[in-house]
Amino acid sequence: MIAHANKPKTFFVKILRQDAPGKPSYWEKFELDYEPELNVISVLQKIAAKATTAGGQKTTPVCWDCGCLEEVCGACTMVINNKVRQSCSALVDKLLEDGREIELKPMSKFPVVRDLYVDRSRMFNALKKVKAWIPVDGYYDLGPGPKQSRGDQEMAYPLSECMTCGCCVEACPQYSKIELTPNVGETPEEFEDRKVDTFNRNFVGAAAISQVALFNLNPTGKMNAGERLDALTEEGGIQVCGNAQNCVAVCPKKIPLTMSIGRIGRAVTFNTLRKWFDRPAKKH
Amino acid sequence: MRRQARRWKGSVVSSAPSFLERHEFLLRRLHSLAGLVPVGAYMMVHLAVNASVFGSPRIFQRLVFHIHSLGPVLPLVEWTFIFLPIIFHGAFGLFITTGVKPNIEAYPYNSNLRYTLQRATGVIAFLFIFWHVFHMHGWFHNHFWVTYVAHPLMGAEFSPYNAGSSAALAMQASFLVPVLYTIGILAVVFHFSNGLFTLGITWGIWISPTAQERAKLLANVVFVIFAVAGMASIVGLYSMSQEKIAEVRAEEDEAYKVLVETGDIVPNPEKHSPLSEYAPGKHSDAEESDVEEGE
Repeated sequence: MIAHANKPKTFFVKILRQDAPGKPSYWEKFELDYEPELNVISVLQKIAAKATTAGGQKTTPVCWDCGCLEEVCGACTMVINNKVRQSCSALVDKLLEDGREIELKPMSKFPVVRDLYVDRSRMFNALKKVKAWIPVDGYYDLGPGPKQSRGDQEMAYPLSECMTCGCCVEACPQYSKIELTPNVGETPEEFEDRKVDTFNRNFVGAAAISQVALFNLNPTGKMNAGERLDALTEEGGIQVCGNAQNCVAVCPKKIPLTMSIGRIGRAVTFNTLRKWFDRPAKKH
Repeated sequence: MRRQARRWKGSVVSSAPSFLERHEFLLRRLHSLAGLVPVGAYMMVHLAVNASVFGSPRIFQRLVFHIHSLGPVLPLVEWTFIFLPIIFHGAFGLFITTGVKPNIEAYPYNSNLRYTLQRATGVIAFLFIFWHVFHMHGWFHNHFWVTYVAHPLMGAEFSPYNAGSSAALAMQASFLVPVLYTIGILAVVFHFSNGLFTLGITWGIWISPTAQERAKLLANVVFVIFAVAGMASIVGLYSMSQEKIAEVRAEEDEAYKVLVETGDIVPNPEKHSPLSEYAPGKHSDAEESDVEEGE
């Protein structure tokens, strides 16, 4: 383990806060006693319990989102020392190797709900857009599906580890923030429709493209491969990718995202040509 | 229903989906393809032909005569396969570059640096080619334009029937010219070689990380080859002495005389250097000198 020697007695945590959607953001600094083996979540718990800034002023507890605490749900993703990652697996001992301060910011590509808690609904909407599922529900037993080869299983497993955390799109220079507010006289349903419409017209991002690679690899999922590829050639589809390849560099699950992008890039080209020449969908 | 404010590429617009939005996939793919064929392919031929001037202005002139043996069809070929594709690739490239936010400080990875450089060199290449075509070619061959607009602004300096000698004079007009050409050519060649690498990902030619690493190496080799070719032509033109230029010009005129007789080259006074013995206004035994309006 990392030596706990040479560690400071106290350390600082600088947090970019925001009281509500659309409100201005501001920095607040907290000072905490050093303890070995903290992670950023436990730091945030201590700050919430303390609710006092480094200057000694009372403040509101910092808000954040989390779920599993073992880097499989993606909810606690934030920008820690300028790098996007999960706060549950961000260990304070490691972060303090470079200094006495830890900087926490909410992800910049999603609307802030409050403090470090963001609204990632655009990520989930992208999964809906590309139909990232296998339709097997019905009124009767469809029987066993076709078998998947060992090779395909091995290719699919890493892709299935995606937790839709948002790291890939946070680091993506082609993915820009969308933050909408209800218009005057707009019903919640109309607002929701407008939101979905806007999401659908903007870049889907690496995670959703990789999910198409996953579900199009599945023997049953393949039956709807064309629909998923069609969704990826609509506005905001795979063509928006600029090959910066930051997605694969920041993915906490080391998912081969650029490989998925390459494979799906090829598939959409053939799918589009097939449609153009009015050929039937590829037989799988 | 579509008449509503929505955000697109960073700006809020209020209208039905535009042509560009509806055909985003097709346009992006065409943009990617155009970078290779015809624009990139043309660039490779162009740099290779020009590099020949380093070794032999005579071979360079020969190659230029081959190109200009197309005669009156050449402008059509130029506009269809060179100018219009470059204009599309450049204009659409600028359009899709606006609105992206480079984040190289936060994510300083090799691929991200390439991504950022790809956009920066694209903008440099756009400006450079805009000027370069004016400087050498003049954009249009209309007599009025060439005489009263291009020449006074240091444009249309290249005379195809005196290729080496006129290009050398154009390159030596100011020390700024070779500097701008060096920056421009390096930007263009990087943009092309890195574009080749990303095109292979976009079209799914190199997919696995190993394949992409090899492709990146290949792209770097392509960069070195064409950067050297480009520099060779600049050095070849910039280092040509005045005596050598006069000598080369005489040789070019000699070759022209022979090729006109064999019918391989169509006489065209505008394609001679003003210093050539066949230049319009000078006495020449090729054609009447007032056919210059005929082009």
